[in-house]
Order: sequence, then C-alpha cells, then structure tokens
Amino acid sequence: MKFAGKRDIVIIAILVLAAILSWVLYTDILGKKGTYAEIYYRSERVKTVALTPGREESFSIPQEPDVVFRLYEDGSIAFVRSDCPDQVCVHSGKLSLAGQQAACLPNLVYVKIVSDKADPDAPDLYI
Amino acid sequence: MKKRVSFVLALLVMLAAGCGRAAATRYQAQFLQLFDTVTTIVGYADTEAQFREISDQIRKQLEQYHQLYDIYHDYEGVNNIKTINDNAGIAPVAVDQRIIDLLLFARDIHGQTGGKVNVAMGSVLSLWHDYREAGTEDPAEAELPPMELLQGAAGHTSIEAVLIDEEASTVYLTDPAMSLDVGAMAKGYAVEQIARQLESEGVQSLLLSVGGNVRAIGGKILNQDNQEFYWTIGIQNPDKTSDQAELFALMIEGLSVVSSGVYERYYTVNDIRYHHIIDPETLMPAGRFAQVTLICPDSGLADALSTYIFSLPAEEGQRLIESMDGVEACWVDSEGTVLYSSGFQDYIKEK
Repeated sequence: MKFAGKRDIVIIAILVLAAILSWVLYTDILGKKGTYAEIYYRSERVKTVALTPGREESFSIPQEPDVVFRLYEDGSIAFVRSDCPDQVCVHSGKLSLAGQQAACLPNLVYVKIVSDKADPDAPDLYI
Repeated sequence: MKKRVSFVLALLVMLAAGCGRAAATRYQAQFLQLFDTVTTIVGYADTEAQFREISDQIRKQLEQYHQLYDIYHDYEGVNNIKTINDNAGIAPVAVDQRIIDLLLFARDIHGQTGGKVNVAMGSVLSLWHDYREAGTEDPAEAELPPMELLQGAAGHTSIEAVLIDEEASTVYLTDPAMSLDVGAMAKGYAVEQIARQLESEGVQSLLLSVGGNVRAIGGKILNQDNQEFYWTIGIQNPDKTSDQAELFALMIEGLSVVSSGVYERYYTVNDIRYHHIIDPETLMPAGRFAQVTLICPDSGLADALSTYIFSLPAEEGQRLIESMDGVEACWVDSEGTVLYSSGFQDYIKEK
C-alpha cells in the first residue's frame, strides 16, 4: 500500500493552505488593532485611551481631577501633574510599550499599557 | 484505505490542534496598596476563577508581610517593625516569626556587605525621607538635611544594638535613638518567601512583581502540553528623555530580576536631583549610577545586592558579582554607559 495517494496529497495541500490562510487572517486582520492605555481608579478601569500617534492633549479622570495625563504626538502617555507628595507618578515619564505601567499611589490612580496585537515576543512586564 | 483515512484524520486533528489548541489565557492582576508600590501578578490559566484564586492568595500573604514590615503605620493586633522602633530603648517586642527571619537575613546581609546594607540605618534614612517629602511638596523651599544632623543620626546605626531573641521571638533595640528601615530588602524577601511557598504547593508557572522586584516561578506555560517558555522582562531606560523606552529585555525562568533606579523617587534642591538610595559612608545619595539590575535565584538577595552595588565603585561591584555563583548584574551610569557582569548578556533577548 502506498503511503498516501494523489487524493490525500490534494486534501493535505488544501488543509495546509486553509491553516496558513486562517493564521494570516487571524494575526494580520483580527490581531492588529493597536496599543491602549488603560486607566484605573481604585482598581476599577475608568478609561481606555488609544495611543494613536499624531494627537496631543491633556485630560484627567472625573474621579481624580488633580491627576493630569498627557497624550503625546509620538503615541505615548504620561502623568504630567499630580497633587501627591512624592511625584513618583510624574517622574515615571512617558509610557508607550505594552507591559509598561505607572501609578500615583497616594491617589490610587494606575495606568497600564496594553496591546491587542498578537505579539508573543512582547515583554510580559516592564520594570 | 482504512489506513489512509486515519492518516488524513490524524492530520486534521493535528492541524486543528495547531490552530485552536486550548491555549491558556493570560491574566494579570495588580494591587496598589502594598509596600508603597505596584504589585503585579501575571499567569496563564484556563479560567479567570483559577487565576483569581491564586492571585487572591498572594494578595493576602503579601498584605501580612506588608503589615509586619511596615515602619510607618500601626495595625490593630499586629506588632510590626514600627512597634519595634517605637520601643527602642524601652522593651523587647514579641513579634511574628516572619520578622525574626527577615532580621536574621538582614544580619547576614550586613555581614556579607561589610555593613553597607544596614537595616539599622533608619535614623539616617528617615531624615532623608522627611526632607525629600517636604522638598517635593514645596520645591521652592526644598533643602538638604544638614550634615551635622545626618552625622548625629549615623551615630545610632549599629546592627549590634539589634537584639534578636529567637527563642522568645522578640526583638529589642538597645539604643533609644535608633530605628530599623527594612526598605532595602523587605519587598524582595517577602516576594521570595511567597514564591517558595507557592512552589512547594505545586505552582509551576507564575510571574510576581512587587515594585521593581520580579520573581518568576518556572517559565510561562501557554498550552496544556506543559511546554515552558521564558518569561520576558523589559528593563526600562533610566533616561526618561530618551526616545528609546526600553534598554533591553531579559529572558528568565524561575529566577528573580530586580532593578533599582534613581529616576522615580527623588527631589530637587538648587537644580540638583537627590534620590533615595543613600550611601552609608557619605550619608548622601549614591551618585555613580542611574540604574542597577540584578539577576539571581533569590529575590531577597537580589534586592539587597542591588542596593549594595549601587553605592560601590563599578570595579568593586563587578568583582563582588563575579565572585558570587548564579548572580549577574548590569550597571548604567549617569552618562548612560552600560556595563555588564560576564554572564548577564546571556539573558538579554536578541532583537
């Protein structure tokens, strides 16, 4: 008996093609959406901002108006003002990479960068 | 024919598995209330409930360590490091075994570092803490702590005056003007103890980070076939003005990575930045480096060593790291020059 007949090879080829196509579809079309900053207040997510390059603006969250964020043209975000005593949040600087995070602990405001790009090589965490 | 059909079927199953294997989902939890920093837990699990169970357990344990090792706050029914400090020169304080263990570890580290990592330096560190907070709140009036105050405080930092009675489970500071500050190692030590506990309970894969203290349990397990992958830890560029946010990424499995930097906790006096890592010899912020990163199996040791080599000249620090088994380090000086110990770059992920 032969290892695999002509018909089998055709079926295999179709299956392999289908697999490649669905993988490409999954990663390229469904997977590429972008990078976001998720802002949390008291452990609740209160705002999600797309880190789209080209846009520059300042904003705060209604729960904590004394903490001010700035979105930068290069697609990064930073704490730029806070009434906290240590200013560690402001010193954390710009955040742009998925896995980066910063917090204003006295005000219980926390921001983390997330991405819905399917990138298995991205760091699990930044320190 | 039967064989052929089963061959094609087997292939189908393989392909289906390749595309839609029951991959575990990535979950992340973070808490802001512990150790005055952000705690992050990352794990892969089949359900959120599974992950929640383990992250809740970690949170509870970390909270206990946080209360025990706190030097600023009182907790009802808890004798902590602050209780010991409040009773300096007055009376021994009965404490939890976890405080005894930390202070024994600290005494060990004090010996290993020739006194450069000293938990009995609370009097000096609290002066810097108070001046830093006042100076951050009111930058126009920011001042350095006067040297004669620092030198006066430095006269009350002897580790010999910390009496640990293991049998009675008490700690007594014989010098009424002294106090303990366990900030250089408490986070790392707590993380290490919790990680070991989880490992003994059979946890195979998890990433735990308290501030800059990361401890990996195993590698990451993405699928049900138990294949392990490295955890990737990005190290941020200490130069916050640079376009390059990442210095490099480290690939680890079952190891600890600790990064200490001076770019977050500092204040400015007359246009000069003064950060929080104080050299016990000069009593001033250690000025050589912007960032130091340590890799070693024990997170408590990594935490203490990162503080230590921060105040050592580069050559001396390198000699120390090379003399220790399984410990690697990376230094970034204030000009941005990067220096590695001999095996550090093996952990850096290729771009």
